[in-house]
Amino acid sequence: MSSDHAHAHHHDPGFIRKYIFSVDHKVIGVQYAVTSLVFLFLGFTLMMIMRFQLAYPNHIIPVIGPWLSHAVEGLVTEKGRLLPEGYNALGAMHGTIMVFLGVVPLAVGGFGNYVMPLQIGAPDMAFPKLNMASYWVFLPGGIIMLASFFVPGGAANSGWTSYAPLSVTANTVGTNAFWNGQTMWLLGMVFLITSSLLGSVNFIVTIVHLRVNGLKMFRLPFFVWAQFVTSFLLLLAFPPLEAAGVMQLMDRVFHTSFFMPSGLVVSGVMQDQHLGGMYAGGGSPLLWQHLFWFLAHPEVYVLILPAMGIVGEVIANNTRKPIWGYRILVYSIIFLGFMSFIVWAHHMFLTGMGTSISTFFQTTTMIISIPSVVILTALLLSLYGAAIRFTVPMLFALAFLPMFAIGGLTGLPLGLSASDIHLHDTYYVIGHFHYVVAPGTIMALFAGIYYWFPKVTGRKMNDFLGKLHFWPTFIFMNGVFMPMFFVGLSGVSRRLWDQTNYMLGNETHGWVKMSSWSAWMLGISQLPFIINFVISAFAGKKVAANPWHATTLEWAAPSPPPHGNFPEVPVVYRGPYEYSAPGAKDDYSPQHLPDVSLA
Amino acid sequence: MVATRFWLPLDISSHGTAIDNLIAYLHIFMAVLFIGWGIFFVYCLIKFRGGPGRRARYDDIKAKPSKYAEVVVVAIEAVLLVGISMPVWASYRADPPKDNPLTVRVVAQQFAWNIHYPGPDGKFGKTKPGLVNEVTNPLGLDRDNDPNAADDIVSINNFYVPKGRDVVVRLTSKDVIHSFAVPLLRVKQDVIPGMEIPVWFKALETNDQVREQLTRRVQVPTDPAGIEDFANEHRADVFMDDFGKNADGKPIAVAGGWVTDELTKALGAAGVTEIDVAPKDPVNIQCAQLCGLGHYRMMGQMQIVEPAAFQEWLDSQSGGEEEFFEDE
Repeated sequence: MSSDHAHAHHHDPGFIRKYIFSVDHKVIGVQYAVTSLVFLFLGFTLMMIMRFQLAYPNHIIPVIGPWLSHAVEGLVTEKGRLLPEGYNALGAMHGTIMVFLGVVPLAVGGFGNYVMPLQIGAPDMAFPKLNMASYWVFLPGGIIMLASFFVPGGAANSGWTSYAPLSVTANTVGTNAFWNGQTMWLLGMVFLITSSLLGSVNFIVTIVHLRVNGLKMFRLPFFVWAQFVTSFLLLLAFPPLEAAGVMQLMDRVFHTSFFMPSGLVVSGVMQDQHLGGMYAGGGSPLLWQHLFWFLAHPEVYVLILPAMGIVGEVIANNTRKPIWGYRILVYSIIFLGFMSFIVWAHHMFLTGMGTSISTFFQTTTMIISIPSVVILTALLLSLYGAAIRFTVPMLFALAFLPMFAIGGLTGLPLGLSASDIHLHDTYYVIGHFHYVVAPGTIMALFAGIYYWFPKVTGRKMNDFLGKLHFWPTFIFMNGVFMPMFFVGLSGVSRRLWDQTNYMLGNETHGWVKMSSWSAWMLGISQLPFIINFVISAFAGKKVAANPWHATTLEWAAPSPPPHGNFPEVPVVYRGPYEYSAPGAKDDYSPQHLPDVSLA
Repeated sequence: MVATRFWLPLDISSHGTAIDNLIAYLHIFMAVLFIGWGIFFVYCLIKFRGGPGRRARYDDIKAKPSKYAEVVVVAIEAVLLVGISMPVWASYRADPPKDNPLTVRVVAQQFAWNIHYPGPDGKFGKTKPGLVNEVTNPLGLDRDNDPNAADDIVSINNFYVPKGRDVVVRLTSKDVIHSFAVPLLRVKQDVIPGMEIPVWFKALETNDQVREQLTRRVQVPTDPAGIEDFANEHRADVFMDDFGKNADGKPIAVAGGWVTDELTKALGAAGVTEIDVAPKDPVNIQCAQLCGLGHYRMMGQMQIVEPAAFQEWLDSQSGGEEEFFEDE
């Protein structure tokens, strides 16, 4: 199958088929990566606006405030102060964009699509057209999300979690059943979930069927394993949310009552049909939460596993030694994958949960912390006895380790239901998951960009600009998120437009300002990256096919790889991380070379 | 005592110490792990820097210490889980107080807390959504036909409770999901429409006592430009004593009065350099679950008073016909 495919293309497909509606996994990977980087920056911009309101409550947003009042519906006052509902819209959209339009598409759609087939020696994904479909379902989903800022009533403002009944009754200003923020959010989600499902099926089949000769499962690079487990999570966890999204859509558009209990009186308006309202009632708001978190907890591992995969690759390459405990790592992420399906209700300890249920979920939560500790320990032990090269990708990969440690550890007080009583829905939660996703996953994604950039473009990114990107990013990420732990411990609720009304919020407001200033500095710190990325793509230093002296198969292909990837189908002779093997000529023994001995 | 460290706020509840201890132990455990990893990490970065001619070691090191460390991690997590978290949760959720508790319903709505007391008969009147009138009858009590409802008391945003007595709060919502959070009482419980969820606590200190403890001595700003910021920062504070003297010998600022920019300016002009202030309402009820555009201002106040003062307040409210909208 694979060799047929590799030689099937003799004609030039033309610009549109080659770069826009391409079926080549590399083009689709780059499309995903560039789109999601744009979305990431957009999501980050929304947050920078929110952080202004938090630091300087009810002040006019400098520079863009007055302009925003003309450009976007219901976001700011005429003078340019952020409205409370505008703040909620930015919050909901920041979360949605970062998770569903930024990190996941970059980690899975971008890196997974581009690197995984190369690493298994395949000429393309198993279903190239399905792959193309997945991107072209993703993009409209993203556009629908963004377009919702411009409809009457503004974008969805019920949080990225969209808890009913708030989400069912919110954003009804426009009164058009479809043309409003929350409904568009739901429609957008249906597109995004469909796209992920198409992608995950493709990934699984590709990894199972298209490995080249000699590439046994336990010779797969760790990154491929991470993508493999991630795909199963997406495949199994997303359908319940897709169903839930459609149910909420029904509640909003056709006034079913899946999530609407009886007897509601919202802003003085009775919702029961017999009292003149539109709902039969009898639904359950908690049903939404269960369906949502049944996806959203595995989703956390969808965010972190590909990041771990990238870090594993970069660390092996730059320590010049095999990663410590390769098999242990693989078993750990498989175990993580399984466990991630039975911890979801630790997000819901305070919904009135009894003792036995909470006991179950806090126990599973403690259990899931163990493979995370094992993974971190294995990556740390990999450093022992290394010959570390402090390249730019390695700096980001190294920074991932302590950041992920903080993110993981601060999950413990939230995972035990008793300490969660005080910390639930405070800034502590925000600090915790951002440490996992932002200084954690996003640092790893940067590592991946710097690491694989030469493969994609044939050119290397500039080292000086890379370091100028790394250090401020590392410092200011911590400046943004560390203060949140202190604010959270003191008990301040999250999602407050202005926390200074509260005694505890007023006391801790200095930390909030520090967070905000760090966020803006973090924004500025991304300029070297953007400049580096764009200039290096066209004018970076040209490098050979394997500039990092790496072992895995993607480096056996030319840079950039042609359509079909490998001029000759490689055969694999050894494991993925044969660095500094005794008796080998070089300090790296590529997987595809039959003979690497001294002679 | 460990319990007030780690940036945690003052705890005035009878059950909060156990929660605070758990948080403290967890953070000590986390810090030890993090520092342990950190030392190893930094050591490796320095010691195993690559260079020309340096070749990495190929075989895996035997990592006995890390295995022991993992066993210890598992053991500590198990102890904290079984030893603290489970019993605390069991008493928090499954062990309601039996010794003559005060039972109150709290009905959340966008964006206020309706505190519903049963009145002298000790029985809550039934509420019907069809009777809700946001101005005159926010709970939809049937005062005309339901004898239990006639004497019910409804207070908005001010939650009076006696010090030292168990309070059971039956939480429900009229519209969307809210969360009843009182950080100083270490109470937090989601409020879910269609469900009534009980939560309980016992306050060990009155608001006056809390205010005493939270009193801060602050500098009166000398720079006129700083006065507005100062007054804004202290807009929820009151003076804890009389400060300054007018020409007629009366104090400029009276104990219990709000801190305003005019008074601050007058105090500065009179040469007062330091004042003692404290929050007027030190025990805030926050909403902890996003509930709409007014989420940030869904603030209530616990009014924890001595039992006698509580009874006095109840008596002054009985009859239930009065309305209490001063905060809306």
